[in-house]
Amino acid sequence: MIAQRVGVAALRRGAAQPFFAQTLPRAALAASMSTTPTRSWSTSACRRPISPHLGIYKMEQTWFGASAWTRITGCVLSGTMYTYMAAYVVAPLVGLHIESASVAAAFGSLPFAIKGGLKFALGFPFAFHFFVGLKHLVYDMGKGFAKDTIIKSEKILWGVSIVGGLVLAFFV
Amino acid sequence: MGGRPSAATRGAFAKSSFQSQLMGVAAFHNTARRSAILPPGPQRIIGTVNDPAPVPEPSSAHGSYHWSFERLLAAGLVPLIVTPFASGSLNPATDAILCSVLLLHSHMGFQSVVIDYIPQKTYPGLRKIFWWLLNAATVTVGVGLYEFETNDVGITEAVKRIWRA
Amino acid sequence: MASLRSSCLLGASSVRTALRPGARIGAAFTRSMASVSEVPAQPEAKLRSFQIYRWNPDTPSEKPRLQTYTLDLNKTGPMILDALIRIKNELDPTVTFRRSCREGICGSCAMNINGQNTLACLCKIPLDTAADVKIYPLPHTYVVKDLVPDLTHFYKQYKSIKPYLQRDTPAEDGKEYRQSKADRKKLDGLYECILCACCSTSCPSYWWNSEEYLGPAILLQSYRWLADSRDERTAERKTNLENSMSLYRCHTILNCTKACPKGLNPGLAVAEIKKTMALGN
Repeated sequence: MIAQRVGVAALRRGAAQPFFAQTLPRAALAASMSTTPTRSWSTSACRRPISPHLGIYKMEQTWFGASAWTRITGCVLSGTMYTYMAAYVVAPLVGLHIESASVAAAFGSLPFAIKGGLKFALGFPFAFHFFVGLKHLVYDMGKGFAKDTIIKSEKILWGVSIVGGLVLAFFV
Repeated sequence: MGGRPSAATRGAFAKSSFQSQLMGVAAFHNTARRSAILPPGPQRIIGTVNDPAPVPEPSSAHGSYHWSFERLLAAGLVPLIVTPFASGSLNPATDAILCSVLLLHSHMGFQSVVIDYIPQKTYPGLRKIFWWLLNAATVTVGVGLYEFETNDVGITEAVKRIWRA
Repeated sequence: MASLRSSCLLGASSVRTALRPGARIGAAFTRSMASVSEVPAQPEAKLRSFQIYRWNPDTPSEKPRLQTYTLDLNKTGPMILDALIRIKNELDPTVTFRRSCREGICGSCAMNINGQNTLACLCKIPLDTAADVKIYPLPHTYVVKDLVPDLTHFYKQYKSIKPYLQRDTPAEDGKEYRQSKADRKKLDGLYECILCACCSTSCPSYWWNSEEYLGPAILLQSYRWLADSRDERTAERKTNLENSMSLYRCHTILNCTKACPKGLNPGLAVAEIKKTMALGN
């Protein structure tokens, strides 16, 4: 603020002397005196920050949103399939045994808790992706878009999926 | 909006309203760090502010046909997955259909992940790499599924056996 | 120069003293009023802190930061915009934000308040909690200054959907384009959009692909013209959406519907577009 005033005052003093005012182009005078840097729109726009998004938006609509978990669970399921099937192609070449019989045998020898945990790790994504898929098919028909319905259906979805995952893990 | 202060009460306002020190700055969520994975880059405006944003070349194969096909696959998966497990009977034909639909559904899902998170405009090279990596992976998995269906017990039976092991 | 400055100050102080007596009278008047009535129950100060996103284009290398301001809610209007205006008036005139109508019709004061995009003028200061109110600009936008985002591209996208009536046949009566009550009803919930960008900037898909994806607000507007019985370029409008980016980046996340401060349903509008595009009618 003070620096700016000094600048203005100096400018006035300069202007009071006709010699300077006539010999120096006005723009050059202003540029040399002004304390704020001159910047064009484009250069300042280049330095604009992106406002925060995932870090500040309501968690229940981003990290815990049903949509994000559709993608996460889908990627877990398809990722598992992709990894296993790609490995199945490569296995004979490197002498690994991952046929269904040996995998079933290996899985069967695990302790109950780990077996249950692994089953839930796949069972929950399956249940979630299955139910959210149904929900999205209903959305695609243009139904269920009322705000209350959206919020209620999301709660039901989570409950049903967790129960479904547990059932698949321990009761099937 | 009755909140407008009258001139007489203004002085009192200034005294009673507290201001944390200007420099008392909360540790800030640094946006630059948070979006460090594939940052969007500096702002660019194509054309003047009065030009409309460009409209892409129309292609139904990437538009409505793609979308409808995706929904058909998803809807088809529901009975394809439920029936073999519910009925308990095993049919190699339905198993083969299930495998192919599952593969296409997964491939399209991964495709939209790539499209969403690796913007063509900002990262054209990276987009291309991931696009073809995905294609290669899908072909490999397709081969794997074929091998599994022909040489092993088939996907439905395998899941059943492992799940009940 | 020093003399110039001091004379300026002198001038200012003399003006101030000249005004002082009037102010004193005012103060004395209010005080006597207070003593006449019973001792007014001076409500306890209801202090609330507001953390506001700050970034100044004049010092672009400085990282954006949050700055905290504390107000007494007893002396502040009920809305977030009232608090912002009071902060700007009384605490820090450099706080920058857009506002105009203060009644939710202009869409200027769209911002992110406590993690939710909304209009500051329609958002009450939450009274059920003592937590600080956090105010950010609209998410994933380029910041011009403080709470002011650059919406240039958003408006350019709006222009790209040709948001006006397009037809070739003249009106039957030569006066106006008529439409049935039922057809007019289809535009309810669409025409009310004020383009505040709350929904578009709440959409993760729009965050990652704002350059090519149109976003919920523009798509709702697009549907507003697709649904208009008087418009004759429906086919062209639909063709313009036939690509992987403009429309089909929508994954029905529905943050848009949750965000809309006008209670509209952009998610439904986008679903309707997809439906008509798929059925080809």
